[in-house]
Amino acid sequence: MDLLFLSLGLFLLGTATILWPKRFEPAAHYVGMISAAAGSGVLFCVSGLYLVSAGWLRLVNGWLAFGSWGSYSLDADLWSAPFLVITGLAGFIISLYGMDYAKRYRGNGLRALAGEWNLFLLSMVMVLVAGDAFTFILAWEVMALVSFLLVNHESSKKETVSAAYQYMIMTHLGTAAILVAFYILGSSVGSFSFAAFSLNQMPPDLRHIVFCFAFAGFALKSGLMPLHVWLPNAHPAAPSHVSALMSGVMLKVAVYGFGRFVFQFTGIDTLWQGVLVISTGLISAFLGVLYANMEKDVKRILAYSSVENMGIIFTAFGCGMILKYLDMESLSLVAFTAALVHAFTHSLMKCLLFMSAGCVMHATGSKNIEIMGGLAKKMPWTAFFTLIGSMSLASLPFTGGLVGEWLTLQSLYTLAVNGNDEIRLLVVFGLILLGFTGALALGCFVRLFGIVFLGRCRSKAVDKAHEQPFFMVLALGIEAVLIVAVGVFPSPLVAAMEGVFIGVGDMPPAMMFDHWSAMGGSGIVPMVDGYALLWSGTGNIYDQMAVYCPVIFAIMGLVLFGICYLSVMGNTLVRREVTWNCGTYPTARQQYSATGFSKPLRRAFDFILKPRREKVYLEKEHDYFGHRVRFNLFVPDRFTDRLYHPVEHFMVRLSSTLLMIQQGSVRLYIAYTMIAMVVVLLWGVM
Amino acid sequence: MEYLVVLLILVVFLQTRIMELHRATYLLAIQSAIIAGSCVIIGVSAGGGGVYAFLPGLLTLGVKVVFIPWAILRLIGQIKDDSEINSNINVNYSSMAAAVFLVMGYIMADHLLPGVIGRDIFAAAILTIMTGLTLIVMRRRAIMQIVGLITLENGIYFFGLLMTEGLPLIVELGVFLDVLIAVVVLVILTGRMRLSFMTTDTGVMRKLKG
Repeated sequence: MDLLFLSLGLFLLGTATILWPKRFEPAAHYVGMISAAAGSGVLFCVSGLYLVSAGWLRLVNGWLAFGSWGSYSLDADLWSAPFLVITGLAGFIISLYGMDYAKRYRGNGLRALAGEWNLFLLSMVMVLVAGDAFTFILAWEVMALVSFLLVNHESSKKETVSAAYQYMIMTHLGTAAILVAFYILGSSVGSFSFAAFSLNQMPPDLRHIVFCFAFAGFALKSGLMPLHVWLPNAHPAAPSHVSALMSGVMLKVAVYGFGRFVFQFTGIDTLWQGVLVISTGLISAFLGVLYANMEKDVKRILAYSSVENMGIIFTAFGCGMILKYLDMESLSLVAFTAALVHAFTHSLMKCLLFMSAGCVMHATGSKNIEIMGGLAKKMPWTAFFTLIGSMSLASLPFTGGLVGEWLTLQSLYTLAVNGNDEIRLLVVFGLILLGFTGALALGCFVRLFGIVFLGRCRSKAVDKAHEQPFFMVLALGIEAVLIVAVGVFPSPLVAAMEGVFIGVGDMPPAMMFDHWSAMGGSGIVPMVDGYALLWSGTGNIYDQMAVYCPVIFAIMGLVLFGICYLSVMGNTLVRREVTWNCGTYPTARQQYSATGFSKPLRRAFDFILKPRREKVYLEKEHDYFGHRVRFNLFVPDRFTDRLYHPVEHFMVRLSSTLLMIQQGSVRLYIAYTMIAMVVVLLWGVM
Repeated sequence: MEYLVVLLILVVFLQTRIMELHRATYLLAIQSAIIAGSCVIIGVSAGGGGVYAFLPGLLTLGVKVVFIPWAILRLIGQIKDDSEINSNINVNYSSMAAAVFLVMGYIMADHLLPGVIGRDIFAAAILTIMTGLTLIVMRRRAIMQIVGLITLENGIYFFGLLMTEGLPLIVELGVFLDVLIAVVVLVILTGRMRLSFMTTDTGVMRKLKG
C-alpha cells in the first residue's frame, strides 16, 4: 500500500516540474521524465507482485482525506491489478523514450509537457484504484482534460487544435454517459461507493439502462466504431509518446471501467448485452483494420489499428458475457482471460509501434509513408524492433500478439460448439470477420513496414535520416524483447490474467465476483500448469478448447521450412539479374506505393469504403497526348459522412430555428417573461 | 382605503391611455402618492404608532413622489424634439390588457385566497404589476419604460404591504435604495442613449444584437 503511494508521490513530484522556472527547463524535463519512469516502475513492481502472489501485500484500500477538499476512497482489487501492471510497464518504457524524444520540444512548452505527462499517469492510476463513483469521475475527468492538453501541445498548428477540440467534445459525451450510469446507480442505492453499488437491488430494466449508458461511455473512450472518430485525428496531432500512452494505456482504462460495471454493478443477466458487445467489437475490428489499410499517415494507420485491437478485446469480452449467460463458467473464463491478455499484449505492441512512428517522424520529419522507403539501412535497430512489433500486430507466431487473438478465436469457437442455434449463426459471422481481420492486419503491417523501411528511398526526406538517440532505441528494444518473451512463454502471462478471475494463492478472486456468485465454484481449474513452454490443461475437458503451444508452432515451422528448402534449393539454379523492366532501368518511383499496395482491397471492399476518385487535368494539349494529370483519392470515413454530418446539420438547423426567438429587442424579452408569468399565474389558478 | 383602491385603479387605467411624457410622469407621482397614503393607513391600522408607522410612507413620498418624477421631468426637459415627447400609437391594446388583468386579478383572488378581506386590494395590486409590465413591453420610449418599471415596483410593494402588513424597516430601506439606484442608472442610460442614437426609442437597441 505504501509503495503504491510512493509511486503516486513520484508522479506528483513530476507534475510539480510544470512550476519550475524557465531557465531550468531541461532539468525540469529530465526530473519529470525520471520521476514518471520511477513512479511507473514502482507501480509495475507493486501491482505485478500483487497479481502473481497476492496475499503478502495489499495494494491499497482506504480513504484519502484532504480536509475541506473532501475524502476520496481508494480501493484496488484483482480487477484493477492487470491494468495497473499495463500502466506501470507502459509508463516506465515510454518515459524512458520520452526522455530523448520530448527534447525537441525545448523552448516550446517542455516543462508543461513533462508535468502534464506525470499528471496523465497519475490520473490513470487514480481511475484504476478509485473506490467510489466520485473519485472515479474526478480522476476520469482529469485524465480527459490532461490528455486534451497533451494532444493540443503543438497548438500552433490548426489541425492539431481542431483534432484536440473534437477529442474534447467526444470524450465529454462519453463522460456524460458514464455520469448518467453512475447517477442511476447512486440514486438507487443512496451511496456512491463501489461496494454499495455492487449490492444494488435495481429492477432489471433500470440495470439494462445503466449497462447501455456505461457501454456507450466506455466504448467511446476505447474508440469502438461508430464512436471512434476522435481517435484517428487525435493520435496524429499528439506528440508520439503521448499517442503511445493514450493508445497503449488510456484505451485499456476504458476496458477496466466497462469490466467494473459489468462484473460488479450490472451483472450479466440477458443475452443481448453480450451480443451487443460482441457485435460492436467485431465491426470495430474488421472496419478498423480495413480503414488502417487505406491510410497513408503512419499514425492514422496505427490509430485505426488501435480501433481494430480494441474491437478484438471487446469481442473476447462479449464472448465471455454470452458464455457466462449460458452458464459455462470455465469457458467464459477463457474469454475474459483472452480480453485481458490481449489488452496487455496490445499495450506492448502499440506502444512499440507508436514510439517507432515517433522515431521515423523524428528522422524524416514527416508522417506520410508515401515519401519514405529504405529506412532499414539508415535506422537498422528501429527497423528491427518495428519488424517485431509489426509481426506481433499481424499476430504471427512467437510474438505476443498471437496469444490474445488465439484465445479469442478459441473462445469464439467454443461458443460455436456450445451455443444455441442463433448464437451459432452469429459466431459464424464472427469467425469470418475475425479471419478477415487477421488477414487484413497482416496486409496492413506488411504494407506499413515494407513501405517505410524496405525498398529504395522515395524522396529526399529519407536522405538525412539517422539512427535515433540511445534511450529511444532502448525503449523500443525493451518492448520488442517483452513481445517476443510473451510470445514464446505465454504461460505466466495467461496464468496471471486468469488469476484475476479465479483468485491468486489464498487470495479469493476480486470482490466483485461475489456478485457473480456461480464463479469460484469447484469447476474452475487453472488453464496453466506451470510448464513454461507448454500451455495445456489439467484434464478438464474445457482445457482442450484453449491450448496454445509455441513448441508445436516451432516444430511445424521448422518442418515446413525444411521441406521448402529441400524442394527449392535442391534442384534450382540461382542467378542474380537486374529486374526485367521492359528494357528501361527501374527507378524508385516504380516501386509499390502505399496507395498502390492497398488498391486490391479498395476494389474488393468498394461497397463499404466508397472511395472518391478525382481526375484533374493540369495540362491538356490534345485529346490523345500532352496530358499532365493529377489523381486525387479520398477514402472518407463513412461514419463521419453518414452519421455525424447529418446529426451536425440537424443541430445547426435546429439552432438557427431557435435563433428566431432571439430578435435583439429588449421589450420582446420582457414580453416573454410576462407571458411566462401570466401562464404560471393562470396555471396556479386552475 | 376602498377609495384609495378605486383611485389607484383609475390612475392605472389612465396611465395606459396617456402618451405625453409630462402627463405620464405626473400620473406616476399621483400613483406613488396613493401608495404612500395606503402605506400610512395600513401602518396605523396595524396598530403600530410613532415613527415606524409613518416612515415607509414618508420614504415612498420622498423617493417615488418627489425625487423620481423630478429626475424624469428634468430628463424630459433636455429633450428638445417634440416628436420624442408625443407619439401616436394605438393605446387601446394596453387598456384592453389592463381590463383583462383586472379580471384576472379578481379570479386569482377568488381561487388562490378565497374569502380574503383585501380582495379588491389584491386585484388592484395584480393590475398594477401587470400594467407596469405591459407598459414596458408596449411602449417604445425609454422614459415610458422607466414609468412602467416604477409602476411595476409600486404594484409589488403594494402587494407586499397587503400580504405582510409591513416589512421590517431594513428591508423597506433596501427596496427603496434598489429602486433609487435603478432609476438613477436608467435616467443616465436614457440620457446617453439620446446622445448616441439621437432618440430614446428602444427599438434602436436592436442594432446591438451580436
